[in-house]
Amino acid sequence: MVGLESAVSVVELTKRYGSFAALKGISFDLHQGSVFGLLGPNGAGKTTTIKILTGLTKPSSGSAIILGHDIARDAIQAKKRIGVVPESSNIYEEMTAEQNLVFAAELYGVSRQERGRRAWELLETFGLAERGRDLVAGFSRGMKRRLTIACGIVHEPDVLFLDEPTTGLDVQSALVLREQVRKLNREGTTVLLTTHYLEEADQLCDIVAMINKGKIVALDSPEQLKASVIGSNIVDVSFSEPVDEDELRKSCGLIEIHRLGDKLRLTVGSDVDIVGELSDYARARGLRIVTINTLKPSLEDAFLRITGLNPEEAGRDKEPVRPRRQDG
Amino acid sequence: MTIGEELSKAFHIARKDMRVYYFKAPNFTYGLLMPVALYLAFSVSGTLSPATLISGLVSLVILFGTMSIEAVSVVLEKQTGTFERLLAAPVSLLGLILGKALAGFAIGPLTAIAVLIPVSIFSGTSVQSPLTVFIAICISSFTFASMGILVSCFARWTPEAQMYSNFFRFPMAFLSGTFIPVESMPQALQLFSKLLPLTYSIDAIREGLNNPFVTGSYIIDLGVLILFSAAFMLASARVLERQLS
Repeated sequence: MVGLESAVSVVELTKRYGSFAALKGISFDLHQGSVFGLLGPNGAGKTTTIKILTGLTKPSSGSAIILGHDIARDAIQAKKRIGVVPESSNIYEEMTAEQNLVFAAELYGVSRQERGRRAWELLETFGLAERGRDLVAGFSRGMKRRLTIACGIVHEPDVLFLDEPTTGLDVQSALVLREQVRKLNREGTTVLLTTHYLEEADQLCDIVAMINKGKIVALDSPEQLKASVIGSNIVDVSFSEPVDEDELRKSCGLIEIHRLGDKLRLTVGSDVDIVGELSDYARARGLRIVTINTLKPSLEDAFLRITGLNPEEAGRDKEPVRPRRQDG
Repeated sequence: MTIGEELSKAFHIARKDMRVYYFKAPNFTYGLLMPVALYLAFSVSGTLSPATLISGLVSLVILFGTMSIEAVSVVLEKQTGTFERLLAAPVSLLGLILGKALAGFAIGPLTAIAVLIPVSIFSGTSVQSPLTVFIAICISSFTFASMGILVSCFARWTPEAQMYSNFFRFPMAFLSGTFIPVESMPQALQLFSKLLPLTYSIDAIREGLNNPFVTGSYIIDLGVLILFSAAFMLASARVLERQLS
């Protein structure tokens, strides 16, 4: 349930490293109980934002208030209420999974009676109970990531910061983690996550801020952002023979054309009868249309349109995210 | 946050560091074997009194033992990303540094006593005041651990931390009266030796070995070591604060 009160309030936050401005005055409010996604390409300022909000670096100017506490001036009080899961796993390999969790709980002042109980509860939840007494050095990457997240929530924080939580994880581990984030949020934890994966943001977030070159370029719900690119249609098509893309663009009045493997992704104005145009194009050249799918605009399309980035700059090559199929 | 909460978290950090760093091989080679070998190599001349020999050796073992652990404890955590977890936790920078220093502080007396007892027996030297010697060992351990933390805060990777700590350890070892009595050094070096914490550590331990009661010199030595510890800790906090900015 999203509340009206602010869990995190960011006002005109800037961060400079010498002459380079990593953040250029970003502002947003994160309501209690919400899941807020910070999206952007590499170097956009996502991690810098999280580092400031978690007290790992200080802003050059502006303020960040976490549950009523200024993270720059009243850091200890703010830190008591937050959990942090950084982009890289930050657990002690020389300690067991249980010892890592207990130590994390100790740092947040969890009582002696509670530490062990919560540690084993989380080991169960994250499927690590059988390895709870093993040294972390022998864990797989996915197991370490799950343990890192468990360490970030062992003190039951009110606000949880997740920096790229599923990057590099196998599909199953990523699904488990996403389900955990939903569960925590249902139980009242406010979540701020950064991600490259737009589908992940689409599935998890109530509000999304798109950040590029240190500035927030869009801030809205995923559905509203997707709606902002309506006015064009996207169609995936493959032909029985290779086609001349320039000729296809001109013949069918396409706005954009991208090759995706053996098919072409076409963007056309909503007033164009693209199915008819493609049929005519194929018939005139003796080609057969092998597949054709019209697609709804995705968050990725909104992201590319709003940021003006091309797919490579946006990091699409890391993990392709497909728009959802509307009809076949 | 109350002082009790800060101390409790510092204790947990110290205990974690003891688990993670104590049993690494370099701690034994750099922390115990190296100072003993170094000392034996320089003390064969037989010109040093047993009390000078023992106080020098024990101080050297504390210096090398605690600094070997502490000089890499922050930098290793920076390299593995675990330091961010400590920085993100609700504990002040001074509390964090105190926790780190306490881990080194705990190993100092263990190695010092492991060397002190056999060397005393072997050389036939009786310790006049075991308690004052023990207190001097404890305070020296904390001072050198704090010094190691400061070195570690500056370094970006482990070899750099080891290079910085050797930059301080070796000149100190030669200029603090470990191998050559301070009184026999040139005047300028005698003055310089007053700036080195190892000088006070050696002197305090020697006072405890020679005197059955607490002397004024012993109190001054401990006072100076405590001031050095405070200065190293505050400087470490300042360095980390600047790195966060």
